[in-house]
Amino acid sequence: MIKPILFWLLAMLTAPFFSAVILKVKAFFGGKKGPPILINYYTLFKLFQKGSVYSHSTTFIFKMGPMISLGAAVTALLFLPIAGQPPMFSWHGDVILVLYLLGLGRFFTIAAAMDTASPFEGMGAAREAYFPIICEATLFLTLILFFMLSGELRLSAYFFGGEPLHLWRAAGAPLFFVVIALFIVLLTENTRVPVDDPATHLELTMIHEVMVLDHSGPDLGMIELGSYIKLFFYSTIVTRLIWPYDMGNAFVDGALFAAAMLAVYGVVGITESVMARYRMDKVPKFVLTSFALVFFATIITLEFMK
Amino acid sequence: MELFFLSLLLIFSGGALALILQRFFNPMKASSSLFIAVGCLLGLIHAGTWMARAGEAAATVYSIEYLNAFTLAFRIDGLSAFFLIAIHLVSMLAAVYSFHYMDHAEKPLATAVNYFFFSLLVGSMALVVAADNMITFMLAWEIMSLSSFFLVIHNPDAAENRRAAYLYFVFSHVGAMFIFAAFGVMYAYSGVFDFGSVGAMPDAAKILALVFAFIGFGSKAGVFPFHVWLPHAHPAAPSHISAVMSGVMIKTGIYGILRMYGLIGFHGPVFGEIVLAAGIVSGILGVVYALGQHDLKRLLAYSSVENIGIILIGIGIGMIGVAADRPMMAMLGFAGGLLHVLNHAIFKSLLFLGAGGVLQKTGIRTMDALGGLLKNMKVTGTTFLVGSLAVSGLPPLNGFVGEFFIYIGGFSGATPGGRPFISCMAAIVGLAIIGGLALACFTKVMGVVFQGEPRSEAAKDVGEAGAAMRLPMIVLAGACLVIGLFPTGFVLMAVEGVSALGLGYDTGELGTFIQITGNITRGGAVFFIVFLTILAMRKVLYRDKTVSRGGTWGCGFTRPTPRMQYTASSYSGSILEFFRPVAPLHETHPPIRGRFPDRTHYHSHVDDIAEKGMTPGVVRPVLFLFDKLRWIQHGDIHLYIGYILLAIVALLFFV
Repeated sequence: MIKPILFWLLAMLTAPFFSAVILKVKAFFGGKKGPPILINYYTLFKLFQKGSVYSHSTTFIFKMGPMISLGAAVTALLFLPIAGQPPMFSWHGDVILVLYLLGLGRFFTIAAAMDTASPFEGMGAAREAYFPIICEATLFLTLILFFMLSGELRLSAYFFGGEPLHLWRAAGAPLFFVVIALFIVLLTENTRVPVDDPATHLELTMIHEVMVLDHSGPDLGMIELGSYIKLFFYSTIVTRLIWPYDMGNAFVDGALFAAAMLAVYGVVGITESVMARYRMDKVPKFVLTSFALVFFATIITLEFMK
Repeated sequence: MELFFLSLLLIFSGGALALILQRFFNPMKASSSLFIAVGCLLGLIHAGTWMARAGEAAATVYSIEYLNAFTLAFRIDGLSAFFLIAIHLVSMLAAVYSFHYMDHAEKPLATAVNYFFFSLLVGSMALVVAADNMITFMLAWEIMSLSSFFLVIHNPDAAENRRAAYLYFVFSHVGAMFIFAAFGVMYAYSGVFDFGSVGAMPDAAKILALVFAFIGFGSKAGVFPFHVWLPHAHPAAPSHISAVMSGVMIKTGIYGILRMYGLIGFHGPVFGEIVLAAGIVSGILGVVYALGQHDLKRLLAYSSVENIGIILIGIGIGMIGVAADRPMMAMLGFAGGLLHVLNHAIFKSLLFLGAGGVLQKTGIRTMDALGGLLKNMKVTGTTFLVGSLAVSGLPPLNGFVGEFFIYIGGFSGATPGGRPFISCMAAIVGLAIIGGLALACFTKVMGVVFQGEPRSEAAKDVGEAGAAMRLPMIVLAGACLVIGLFPTGFVLMAVEGVSALGLGYDTGELGTFIQITGNITRGGAVFFIVFLTILAMRKVLYRDKTVSRGGTWGCGFTRPTPRMQYTASSYSGSILEFFRPVAPLHETHPPIRGRFPDRTHYHSHVDDIAEKGMTPGVVRPVLFLFDKLRWIQHGDIHLYIGYILLAIVALLFFV
């Protein structure tokens, strides 16, 4: 029982660090030195020490938003095997609960944005409501594929210990499609380039950043922490698929997992450096690609299994 | 059974009292809603106690024979009791709500007539689900359709209300005709009206009867493409009537489909696939059209189409599970679908009651003229938020529980191989898309109606709804949370309902169900613990901090107005763009020209393809056909009598 809690805490503590890696990679490609690698911790500390300014337009929902989105991300991590270690909770169907909890977080992020009466935040909210619909379809199709391969409907059956290796053995090459699709979902759900540019200068072109314009102080800190944890959640899934091995030693596994995570975050950084954000009306097509890939993988696997 | 009839007596006498006391406005409302509410409470107790001792006693049967002409037979089993609970719960709260909602003292007669037909509607719904032969069923069914027709036309002064009622009248009677046809096919083989003795029928006749029944009951339930009346009728009716109609009356259609499935006992995969396909189409299109609406109550009506779709997906998975001989999948699908019947009854009536509060206080149904209501209507707004979360299927609320069961049922059929796999894959992906769209739809409603700033004068400084209106909303919101967190008892009730279908599965697998509901409870508890921890941390972080208030950040713009806010149309615009082929979006927007441009406007509406296609696809061919047959109707009474004689002679020879 100690080990799952330890890894869960470790995940939450290191999530800001991993996100900073993206910044470093982007700085490297831009020929800059970039912010210090612990920048996100500094930001969080700074925000947690401040007070807040609330808009006259807002209600209690505005304050609920950060708490629920952070709570949903933290709860989701409780069900995910981190670094191949057993999760705190695991039961039949937990993955559906986790996906819907993240949906709950999204509901409140959107509701908090709509609370401010700001046209920009409404615009961001509309996009935040739109793109994840396709992501959800992709994720559930992936679940069907994983269920076919493993006969189970729980996160620990896919990502615990050497389980991802079983998925590869059963499916083989089509799983590459799934990895790419999940990477696209990662980029979309966490509003990274090419779906959203967190570093752009114009509110009109943002999704996530514009939705949190009016949050300040500890509230904003909670949102930031929640988004680091959410990115960690999706990255863990991709990482466990590309690094499916189990060494049998928690320490070694943790270290190798961290290295693989760095690679995934690095790829996110490279993607952000070499690509521009898509025009908003092109984004759905990009996200739909992930659905097509998983659909393709499912059909191929269906033939393999006959 | 005595309790059941006592509750009916109270309900009907509540309606009669309203007519007698119409001179005294408030006493009339008070006595009538009290009688109906107490009657419903008794009915709820009756159905509840039946459920509590289910398993010990067999179905309760009661019949009255009238002059040897026909028999009125009633039978209450698990399925009836399950629907009775939903019917009585929602009707009871709607009756309480009506006391403060029906506030047009200048129209006492219209109000009294409304109470009268309301009591008829409630009583007839209870009779529909308790009926045990075709005659009783159709009698109750017609009373239900007619009384709800008179409720829809509550305010006949407006042309659109008359049109809505007419549309509803046509749909419910064409639907009833199909139900008659289905009963006719059954009667042709059994020769008796009893439900209990539907005899052996060839498979083709079974499918025919089921498809007729599906069309007939589907038009009541609002299955795409027979849903056209719904978005017209709900805005026309008073809000507590919409709550009852959308929450429970359309569910009698689901009851009919389930009952016929249980009676006819056709277990091939075809019918299940039809139901599933209809469910997926209704679900997705229902929520897409809901996204495109500007009228709050029309939006909620389309959302009912969506939820009927979810229920049908569950039932469809159940039927496919039966066909594929997978008891677990069948039980999960049916139980999930049935549970969603109860859940939808609760949260949809909550949302309609909330919309009624908004309508009463502001007089506006157009969402883009509202805004910021949460600040002044705390109870209405907060309960509406709970309802929105539930209808989006999010944990830890009740909407999630039903969908969770349907998902698990779908996954248990998603093992490689043939038709069940493809059906289940479509069902799961469909449910996921519906979930995402529902979230978009209801964040829109919350955001535009209750949050932000008021967009018109009428939405400013509104008061909170009356106490009799707040209480039902609080009760319903509480029910959403209770079922969402502790679903075990409700799931067992749904399982009891499924066992009445006579599928022959023993309920020995209840362990799995209790395990799943236990997990839902644990998941909810974990989330609450995490949330409370964060709440405590937030309190600590904000201790001794300066918290101030200011204007919303306008990105440097100095003169913001509420009219700049994102509207419902702009919020849903890009999603509707994605669904353009099935939801054509029409926009009119004169361009802005010159240095000093004229006032301009923007108008958009989304076409419902079923409604659009109805005129060229159905109405015109039917008119054409009957135009050609007009010569039969010549007005000569002798020849009419001749027709009758001829018909009887022909029947004597051929039948």
